[in-house]
Amino acid sequence: MLTLLLDIITTAAILFIVSAGLLAIFGVLKIVNFAHGAWLTVGAYCAVVTAGLGLNPWLALPLAFVAGAVLGALTERLIVRPLYARPLDAILATWGLSIVIGQLITLWFGRDVQFTVSLLSGTVDIFGTAYSLYRLFALAAALVIGIGVTFVLEGTRLGLSARAIIMNEALARALGLDTARIRLVTFMIGTGLTALAGVLLTPLTSVDPNMGLAWLIGAFMLVMVAGSSFGALAVACLLFGGAQVIVSTFISPILGGITIAVLSALVLRISSKGFSRV
Amino acid sequence: MSDTLTASPRPFAQRRALILGGLAVAALALVLLGPLFLDRFSLNVLTRSMIYAILAITLDLLWGFTGILTFGQAAFFGIGAYATAMLLTHVGSSPALIGGALVLAILVPMILGIAVGWLSFYYGSTPIYATVISLVFPIVVTQLVYSGGTLTGSSSGLVGYMGLPFGLEGFFRLSGLCLVLVAIGALVFVRSDAGRVLTAIRDNETRCAYLGLNTQRIKIVLTTVLAGVAGLAGFLYANASGVVAPENTGFVFGTELVVWTALGGRGTILGPILGTIGIDYLSANLSGELPFLWQLIIGALFVVMIIFLPNGLAALVARFTRRGRNEVVTGGGPTLTVSAATHHTQQGGGPLLSISKLEKSYGSHKVLEDITLDVAPGELVSLVGPNGAGKTTMMRCLTDGKERSGGTVRIAGQDIAGMTPDRIVALGVGRKFQVASVFESLTVADCLRMARSALDTPSCIATAHDLGLPQAAVEILQLTGLDRLLATEVSLLSHGQKQSLELAMVVSLEPRLILLDEPTAGLTKAERTTIGGILRKLTAEMGFAAILVEHDLDFVRDISSRIVVLHQGRLVLDGSVDEVVNSEIVKTIYSGGENA
Repeated sequence: MLTLLLDIITTAAILFIVSAGLLAIFGVLKIVNFAHGAWLTVGAYCAVVTAGLGLNPWLALPLAFVAGAVLGALTERLIVRPLYARPLDAILATWGLSIVIGQLITLWFGRDVQFTVSLLSGTVDIFGTAYSLYRLFALAAALVIGIGVTFVLEGTRLGLSARAIIMNEALARALGLDTARIRLVTFMIGTGLTALAGVLLTPLTSVDPNMGLAWLIGAFMLVMVAGSSFGALAVACLLFGGAQVIVSTFISPILGGITIAVLSALVLRISSKGFSRV
Repeated sequence: MSDTLTASPRPFAQRRALILGGLAVAALALVLLGPLFLDRFSLNVLTRSMIYAILAITLDLLWGFTGILTFGQAAFFGIGAYATAMLLTHVGSSPALIGGALVLAILVPMILGIAVGWLSFYYGSTPIYATVISLVFPIVVTQLVYSGGTLTGSSSGLVGYMGLPFGLEGFFRLSGLCLVLVAIGALVFVRSDAGRVLTAIRDNETRCAYLGLNTQRIKIVLTTVLAGVAGLAGFLYANASGVVAPENTGFVFGTELVVWTALGGRGTILGPILGTIGIDYLSANLSGELPFLWQLIIGALFVVMIIFLPNGLAALVARFTRRGRNEVVTGGGPTLTVSAATHHTQQGGGPLLSISKLEKSYGSHKVLEDITLDVAPGELVSLVGPNGAGKTTMMRCLTDGKERSGGTVRIAGQDIAGMTPDRIVALGVGRKFQVASVFESLTVADCLRMARSALDTPSCIATAHDLGLPQAAVEILQLTGLDRLLATEVSLLSHGQKQSLELAMVVSLEPRLILLDEPTAGLTKAERTTIGGILRKLTAEMGFAAILVEHDLDFVRDISSRIVVLHQGRLVLDGSVDEVVNSEIVKTIYSGGENA
């Protein structure tokens, strides 16, 4: 019972980590970054490179953030910027980009599964139940990311500008905010966070050129339901992640895999705003 | 860019039919004779490519023509393929069962198409939501296939069933024949009057709804029919390849279809066919030698194409046609005729529009409060007031039954509570928007025909030679010179011409009540006088009722039969022109009466 509860909370935490970067971009830019999966993969391969160089595995985290942000800057400048007025085309262009990134990674590293050094291994004892230390660490990481993002949004100039753009972009521009720069920075933060999430995923899944795809749809659906609010994302991760764990445990893991997508679609059908009013 | 030229008197339709016929004969010859000079490998690959091309056509009708980006066609295809394979595997194989499989492969996707359509398209649904559903659907289908055990063959799929007893060459010819038939069907349909409705929905769905078209239902029907066609393609695939696998139903396959369609050219029929066959055939040939590099090139090409050439390679070709070169065409197009009124001819007693205690609020902020007003046939009521008085909000509340927060609105005695705009239009209401709301990529004639679609059901195969419009609409066209530009694309018209066109479209609905939001904004003095004359004639002589939102008080004084003043969401004055223009209130509101 306790294991189930811990599974639900840590699954929600992992979903939150994986979706946060996508939400940052969608919330402010109203663009769905369909290359999200590719950025997770890029992050995971940063861990592979770090391990290959014999460096401390924790160094992969800052490395991935920087790599993700730099690549994100290029993407925003070259691919996303011409498409702000065509959001459906932006989905397609970023999907095309993910094909390119996936193939580049394949050409460089081969298509085989890569192994990475585990960041944290072993279990800890919680009220007599042995539980994976790493999953608990993921919970802490999700909290750090959540608090960090909240701090940026509520406590910095950039966050204030971003919130202004979320509420009324035309007015924000009329008031002299440099919306182009804010978009660029937001996109960089989003892709940086996503690559970081890719590193954090390495102990949990195998690393191969297509690993990101499996996470894309879940993250996409959660973000659609969350709108532009990180609080709503946390709620969605807890509810739908919980449902996924329960369905996987008691019914079938295969059906568990579609729980998030189906529930999100239904919630959006009933209320097009999803959980964004939370 | 825009040289004016006169259209040839010979109707395009005949020449087009000839070209289409020639193309069909050539294509048929290719698919029938192909097996004589193609090797086994090419036959195999091209059979598959042609089946995929059928799918690309269905995707293109949804995405390129109607503007619905969908990844779901892969799932309908997969369901058709699995329905065939499962029946033939588990029940047995006989000619009757193969026939049954064909029926199932079309019917099951259609039934699911209704469900997906109902989920995706409802009043107020967003385009991105339909895309979301189209993502979820193939994922659900794939997972169900995986969890189907021996019934679906799970991850290894189904193989070894006995399908149609054709050889390699037979399947090549069958697939080719089906592709040619589907392509001709699609070509005829998109050029028909009904086919133009799809483009109209893509260009401006709101306008479609305010022309009385139930766009949600049109999209659901389209999804359903195309799900059936995708299922047919699945049936062909299951027979021709002899194997079905979970990948055939999946979201990734759905994205591949989008890539092929985009590269070939969305919004054309031939583009996606050539794109699909070309890329799939090249992929099969090149993936052996440079597997990842080839995918890389396709991906990069796709990104570049979406950004710089969103209409694909076909758009490059289209630049050589007259419409692609953006030319104003004088003359040509259908023949204008005056049609007798078919709609709303009987006049009931009582007021046409009756508003009582209308209220609209956003949270605690009231934008409209306690508005009570009756309008009778023949009246031209001007709604005036400063910016933010609630004039446009009030117009919205009269044309969308879900807008208002309180009170009742009756049109010809009927309460419009909860009604969608298309149903209110059917009651006899026409609305002209503040910014001209027309269909940019259609011709003037097509725009007007769209306005008649709800009354005269358009043909799915033909383009009508005549364009029958009410007398008043024809007069507007003649007064503004639009009658000579019927074959010109709307995006080439001036601002004033678009405003007049929209007015003609609204009048073509044969409404009893016309709502006009600043119809003269941005027009020249001459255009303004013309529109004023038309409005007076429509109301005083022809018995329409009109409500006009207007800032230009001189214009209002000239044409109105009555003026209503709104201020801060309340109705402060309702009286004859003289009463209102000379009242103290109006002078105060307009700060010292600069206009009055």
